[in-house]
Amino acid sequence: MVHIDLPQAPVVCLDFWCRAGSARETAAESGIAHFLEHMVFKGSERLAAGEFDYRVEALGGNSNAATGFDDVHYHVLMPPEASNDALELLLDLVLQPRLDAEDFDLERQVVLEELAQSEDQPEEVAFQELLRQACGSHAYGQPILGQRSALEAHRPEAMAQFHRRHYRPERCCLAIAGPTAALGGDLRQRLEHSRLGQLSPGDEEEPPPPPLALRPGEARLELPRLEAARLLMAWQLPGAADQRSVLGGDLLTTLLAEGRRSRLVERLRENLRLVESIDLDLNVLESGCLVLLEAVCETEQLPAVQREVRRVLLELQEQPPAEAELERARRLVGNGYRFSLEVAGSVAAMVGNSALWQRRHNLQAPLDWLQQWDGAALQRELVPLLAPERAFCLQAVPA
Amino acid sequence: MSAPLALAARVEQGHWPLDCPLWLLHRPGAPILSAKLWMRGGSGRDAPGERGAAQLLAGVLSRGCGPYSADALADLVEGCGAGLRCEAAEDATLISLKCASDDAATLLPLLLQMVRSPWLVEDQIALERQLNLQTLQRQREDPFQVAHDVLREQLYGSGPYGHDPLGVEAELRQLGRDALQRQVEQLGAQGAVLVLAGAIPDGVEQRLLAGLEGTTWAPRPPERRAGPPGLKAGGLATSPDETEQLVLMLGTTTTPLGAEQALALRLLHCHLGIGMSSRLFVALREEHGLAYDVGVHHPARLGDAPFVMHLSSSAERAVEATRELLNEWQRLLEQPISPEELELARAKFRGQEALGRQTSSQLADRQALVLGHGLPMAFADRSLEAAAQLTPEDLHRAARTLLTQPCLSLCGPATALRAAETQWQRHPLSASAA
Repeated sequence: MVHIDLPQAPVVCLDFWCRAGSARETAAESGIAHFLEHMVFKGSERLAAGEFDYRVEALGGNSNAATGFDDVHYHVLMPPEASNDALELLLDLVLQPRLDAEDFDLERQVVLEELAQSEDQPEEVAFQELLRQACGSHAYGQPILGQRSALEAHRPEAMAQFHRRHYRPERCCLAIAGPTAALGGDLRQRLEHSRLGQLSPGDEEEPPPPPLALRPGEARLELPRLEAARLLMAWQLPGAADQRSVLGGDLLTTLLAEGRRSRLVERLRENLRLVESIDLDLNVLESGCLVLLEAVCETEQLPAVQREVRRVLLELQEQPPAEAELERARRLVGNGYRFSLEVAGSVAAMVGNSALWQRRHNLQAPLDWLQQWDGAALQRELVPLLAPERAFCLQAVPA
Repeated sequence: MSAPLALAARVEQGHWPLDCPLWLLHRPGAPILSAKLWMRGGSGRDAPGERGAAQLLAGVLSRGCGPYSADALADLVEGCGAGLRCEAAEDATLISLKCASDDAATLLPLLLQMVRSPWLVEDQIALERQLNLQTLQRQREDPFQVAHDVLREQLYGSGPYGHDPLGVEAELRQLGRDALQRQVEQLGAQGAVLVLAGAIPDGVEQRLLAGLEGTTWAPRPPERRAGPPGLKAGGLATSPDETEQLVLMLGTTTTPLGAEQALALRLLHCHLGIGMSSRLFVALREEHGLAYDVGVHHPARLGDAPFVMHLSSSAERAVEATRELLNEWQRLLEQPISPEELELARAKFRGQEALGRQTSSQLADRQALVLGHGLPMAFADRSLEAAAQLTPEDLHRAARTLLTQPCLSLCGPATALRAAETQWQRHPLSASAA
C-alpha cells in the first residue's frame, strides 16, 4: 500500500492495481482479463450487482477501471469525508467477485458491443493490425478486448480460476492520493484486517513478463470507411523497469513530434504540408515499451510521408540534438509531469503502477532523470533504437 | 448537502482599465498558472456563407502575433514547456494558457497580442484552412460523428448552432484573410472575461496589458442576452453506413445555462447519464446488455442547449435498442422520478462540481464559462443550494416543458435503419412530431 497526501485536492483517489492484464491470458482465455474487470462491477459476495456504483455515487464519488496488457486497475474518486467507506467497498468488490452466471451472459453482450464499437472505428482496426503484425505471438499483438470467438465461449468457472490465479496479495497494490487525513492513522492496520490482508499468497512463483521482440517489416492494408490514409509505425524501447530510459523515450518523442517546432511536425505538417497530423506516442509497458507513430494524410502522399519520416530519423542519427532543442523537450516533458501531479487520480495511478512493479523511486526521480539525459547520451543509447529499419510500418488506405 | 465547495483560497477582481472583467483565483500549492480568455461569439456567429471562420481565426491567432512570427511564437511557448491554445466553440472563442508560474511574466502578454495584433499571414491561413478541411473529412470515419452532425442539422437547421465549429466544407474553402480581419475587429465586442487561476504572481495586470503595445482594445463585459434558438421540429433522419453497430441519437433543444428550468434539467441529466448507477446505464446496459457506451450529451449554452440521449448497439438488435431508448425518453414525460432517484442525482451534481475543480485549468475554465454567460461568480454554489429545494415534480415539469418533440438520428447498415424506423413510426414520440 502506498499513499501520498495532497491536502489541497478536493477528492481522494483510491486505486487498486493488480498484475492481471491481458498478457497473463492463455490463448483460450483471450479477453478474459478485461471481461473480468467488467464482471467485478457486477457485485461481490456482499455487494449486489450495481450496489457498489450506487453507494459510491450516492456519496458524491465515481469509479472506473481499465485493463491493459500488463495490469488492471480499479479506481474510485471520493470526497475526503467519504473515503473510508470507499476503501471498504473497493476491496470487497475487487477481491470477491460473485461472477453470477446470468450476469455473466448479459455482461458478455456488453463486452461484445464494446468490441463492435471499436471495430467501427477504422483507425482502431488499423492500430490493432499494426500491433498484430509487429508483435507477432506476444500478448501485445493480441487485442485486450479479446477474440470474438473466445469471448463467446467463456464460462464463469474459467474466469473464477483466472481471478484466483492472479488476484493475489503479492501481485496487487493499493494506492491512495489526496487529502488522506480523513482516512485516519490506522490505515495499514485496517488493511491488514481487510480482505486484502486476509488473502493468502500464491504458492507458485509468478513467471516474469515474457520478453517482446518486435519484428521489423512492412505491410499495406485496405480499410472500408477510412477517409484519410494512415502511416503507422512501431518501434520497441527498453521495458518499464528501466525508468531512466522511459524518461529518455519521453524526451525523444517530444523532441520529434510534440509541438510545432518538433522535428516531425515542423517538417511534415508545417513546411512540406504532407500530413493533417503526425503523432509519436510512448507506450510504457513491462515487456518492452512501444513507440507508435501515426501520420494522417492523403493516400497519394504516403510514399512522400514515409520518405520524410525516414529522413528525419536518419538526421538525428547523424547529428545529436542541439542543447536548445533538448531543453525545449525537457521543459515540455517536465511541465507535463508537474501538471499531472495536480490531479489525485494521476498521482495515484503513477505511484500505484510503480509500487505494483516494485519500482521504488519517489515522485521527484523522473524530473532528475530528465535533467541527466543529454544530446550525446540520447543519440548513443536511444536514437539507434528508433532507426527506420527497426520499425514495423503499416500503410492503411481507404478501400 | 448545500455547504459551498471550496473555490480557491482567495478570489479577487484584478484592476485594469479594460471593460473585460479580470478575475484572479489564487490557489497556493503547485506553481502552475492557468489563464482563460473567453470571448463571446464563436462558430455561432459565423456569418452566412462563412461557416468555419471563427475556428479558422482561432487557429491562425497563434500563428504569429505582436512581435512574433509563427515560428518565434512556437519557440517561445514550447521553449517554456507551456501550452497556448485558441479554439472556437459554438458560443465563444477561448484562448487558454497553461504554464509554470515562473514563466507567467514572459507569456501573459501573448493573450492580448493574439487578440489585438495577430499577423494573419496568408500562407499560415492557407495551412490552417487545409488542416481544418482534412479534419472535417476524417471525422466522417466515426459513425457517432455522422449521427451527431445530422442531429445538429435536425435540431438547428442552418441556424447559428447548425454546423460543426470547424465549418462547412464549401464555405471554409472560400475563407481568406478579409473574412478573418473582420472577425478580429469583433473579438470581445460581444462580451469578454479573463480568469486566471493557480499560483498567480503579483502585478499580472501590467504583464497582461503589455500585450496591447500601444493598440487599444474595447471589449464589453458579458451580459445576460438570449442566444440562438432551436427548431423544435421533431422527426427522423437516417445515414446509411456499413458499420457493425447502429448509432442512435435522440435529442431536442432546450434552454440556456442559468435559465428558469435549466437546473431541473441538469439534475435530469445527472439522473439519466452520470455514472454507472445512472438510469440509462442501468436500464440499457445493465438490464438489457444493449450497449457499451450510453449517455446524455447536454452542454452548457447561451442559447437553446441540446439535450441528447445516445447509444450504439449491434445492427441485429436495432429493434430492441430503438424501442428501449424511445421508452426511456417517454418515461421522463409520463412520470416523475422518485425522491430517492432525485437524491442520487443531487449527489452526482455535487460530485461533478467537486471533480471539476481539481486543477487550476478546470477551475478557470468553469468560471470563465459561467462569467461569460453573464452569471455571477457564485453561480455554481447557488445552483447547489437551489438544487436542494427542487422536487421530483419540478423535474417532471421541466421534462414536459423542455423535452418535447425529440428528433432521432440514426447511422448504421440499411437493414438496421429500416428496423429502427418501424419502431420509431409506431412510437408515441414520433406521433407527437407529426
